[in-house]
Amino acid sequence: MTENNCLIRFRNIVKDFDGQLVLKGISLDIYENEFVTLLGPSGCGKTTLLRILAGFLRQSEGAVIFAGQDISELPPYQRELNTVFQKYALFPHMNVYENIAFGLKIKKMSKDVIEQKVLKMLKLINLEGYEKRDVTLLSGGQQQRIAIARALVNEPKVLLLDEPLAALDLKLRKEMQYELKRIQQEVGITFIYVTHDQEEALTMSDKIVVMKDGEIQQVGSPIDIYNEPQNRYVANFIGESNIIPGVMLKDYKVRFDDMNFECVDFGFKDNEAVDVVIRPEDLDIVAENSGKLNGVVKSVLFKGVHYEIMVETVPGTTVSVKMIVTKEHDVASSDAKERISANSFFVDLEDVKELNDAEIIARADAQAWDPESDEYLSISKIEYDIKAEIGNYPVTFSTVGGTEITVNIMVVEQQYVENKKKNEAISAFNFFKTVDEIKESVAIDTDLKTWANAQGWKLSDESDVEIEDVEYDFDPDTITAGVYEVSFSTKGRVLKVHTTDLSEEGAEIGLNFQPEDIHVMSKVGY
Amino acid sequence: MKTWKRLTYPYIFWMMVMVVIPMLLIVMYAFTKAGNDVATLQFTFDNFVHFFTDADFLSTLWISLRIALVTTVLCVFIGYPIAYLIANSKPQRRNLYILLITLPMWINMLVRTYAWIGILSDNGLVNHVLQWFGLAPQKLLYTDFSVILGMVYNFIPFMILQIESSLAKMDRSLLDAANDLGANRWQRFCKVTLPLSLPGVVSGITLVFLPAVSSFVIPKLLGGGGYMLIGNVIENQFITVGEWNFGSAISMVMAVIIMISMVVTRKLDKSDEGLTRKRGKV
Repeated sequence: MTENNCLIRFRNIVKDFDGQLVLKGISLDIYENEFVTLLGPSGCGKTTLLRILAGFLRQSEGAVIFAGQDISELPPYQRELNTVFQKYALFPHMNVYENIAFGLKIKKMSKDVIEQKVLKMLKLINLEGYEKRDVTLLSGGQQQRIAIARALVNEPKVLLLDEPLAALDLKLRKEMQYELKRIQQEVGITFIYVTHDQEEALTMSDKIVVMKDGEIQQVGSPIDIYNEPQNRYVANFIGESNIIPGVMLKDYKVRFDDMNFECVDFGFKDNEAVDVVIRPEDLDIVAENSGKLNGVVKSVLFKGVHYEIMVETVPGTTVSVKMIVTKEHDVASSDAKERISANSFFVDLEDVKELNDAEIIARADAQAWDPESDEYLSISKIEYDIKAEIGNYPVTFSTVGGTEITVNIMVVEQQYVENKKKNEAISAFNFFKTVDEIKESVAIDTDLKTWANAQGWKLSDESDVEIEDVEYDFDPDTITAGVYEVSFSTKGRVLKVHTTDLSEEGAEIGLNFQPEDIHVMSKVGY
Repeated sequence: MKTWKRLTYPYIFWMMVMVVIPMLLIVMYAFTKAGNDVATLQFTFDNFVHFFTDADFLSTLWISLRIALVTTVLCVFIGYPIAYLIANSKPQRRNLYILLITLPMWINMLVRTYAWIGILSDNGLVNHVLQWFGLAPQKLLYTDFSVILGMVYNFIPFMILQIESSLAKMDRSLLDAANDLGANRWQRFCKVTLPLSLPGVVSGITLVFLPAVSSFVIPKLLGGGGYMLIGNVIENQFITVGEWNFGSAISMVMAVIIMISMVVTRKLDKSDEGLTRKRGKV
């Protein structure tokens, strides 16, 4: 586009509120007759940018150029643009006609000209005959259209819309999307539209500006933004996507999940770490071993037009531990005035040094209480002799009254599974529990994770990896004493597939896609 | 529902004893002759005839209405800018200002009004200051000026608070919208801020005019012994003269005037707010 039809130019706009940076240097060109959408989550600065353009806020640095002229110093009422506010901001003390005529009356136009223009506007927004109505008694959609008419009647060069559809219900919102697009095409001026709704942005815009934390992430047409997101953030924000970390081996060759794939992307450094996007609708389900990936169907959700199928192509990392279930483990004093309880427990060889009295009481879950009043008694003495060697070491807890219980501290090496391919590791301990404790658990998966101290982490930077699956072969309601196996797994590589073909949960399938369905993005540091 | 209704009985009883019965007694006194008891009521319009045929009483009524009107108008014109400034200041500041406005009301009105005597008297503070500047001392106390000053001083917080709250709850985006549509600050004030704050002004007017028109303490203290407003006349009839029937009749006349003025202000208020609504039905 040439310099001539660039209508608005933001030059390095910075805005801070009391030292907090809201806009970090926005530079953006907006052309005549464009429908531009500023898209981003709340707090990304999109509304601030709009208010700076409208003149309600003054930028801290930078300039706003409007039709070749710096308008930074102009007050809002001298700017050739009008705004449609989020909550419409119709004047409640005026009727529909007076609201729409407000700007024209300020300009001191003659009565018949005003009437002509207002009636034309009412026709444009399909509200003919509403001129005498009280604005406060109209529906949200009608108020919205009047707010648009009130702005457009001034024949601005640019219409600013600040989340104008946010207060409407879904159906009305969809209708208004078409309505807005139609109005924009009919009056042929620039619309700058602020929204956090990606679907709205994709439907209406000529150009989308994706913002995050006061910075522009990407500017482009809806198709560009959808098909060629520049980073993980944009890909996640616009549409649904599978994002997989990978390595760009060389131009047109990308590697992820230990496999090499053809792609159409180029211009990265050899062996650069990248993010790979595959849109769910670009994955086709085929017979096992006949596609580029194999996997297991984990879940199937019906979404109306399509099914959303989650396919695990690389299993997670699993560690299994033993749960030793005992019946009772409390001891009563001879006069039955006191009771005391404790668990045997396992300790990692490396953690033996760190054991102290408090830690042992906590790990053994040692408690003493008066069975009549149910009041806790303090554990006054704790005796143990432990070495940093694999083996069993007895520990005795006793109360002032002399009631005591002995359990074992078992020093072991931790159950630990490393998965180099997925760059992660997972560990857990064998543990002791009583039948009652298991029966009383209300969230058994979470409790099992806690009891076994199950943890997952990345091998590269030791950051946490969530444990997604807990599997066991007992029924918590009817469990009896014995030894049970519990396994914990991290999440594998699960790809989301949108398809109209139904698959069964648990089915083993293949997934196919074309080189152009892969989109490679550079990694962003966040 | 029925059991809940019963909870209102104590209030109804209280209202009957404290409000309705005294009112009825005043009506009864106003329409009866002096010196009779409940058993032998003698109805008469004499009290009203007396009031409306006595030029002195009528002129007192006229002066009272005029003073109350001047007070109210002054309260609007002084109070509005103050309310506007308070409403547009930062939240903490706003609270401080409102505290300052209400602070004098914590002190008894009599004491505050007495203070003005000291300030306004012939050898009071104001005249001392005037003399320092070489100006002739002025007669300030016991004039219309001092009475109106006392009334404005006492009643203006009601006006400020009413207007301030209607300004403060105004949707800021309406002001942005007016600016956006080309209105400068003055046009924005005239076309949006002022009309939207009128309900506050109207209730402020009600709250100032009503006590002003029937006030008797302020005119007595700041107007001097001979200064008579209708409130003082009523007070005299009850306390000094002992003419309860005539006093009640004047009270009733005042009650009717107040009722009419309330209806009128309500109408004015509605005509701004409800105009569009009425038109909408056409």
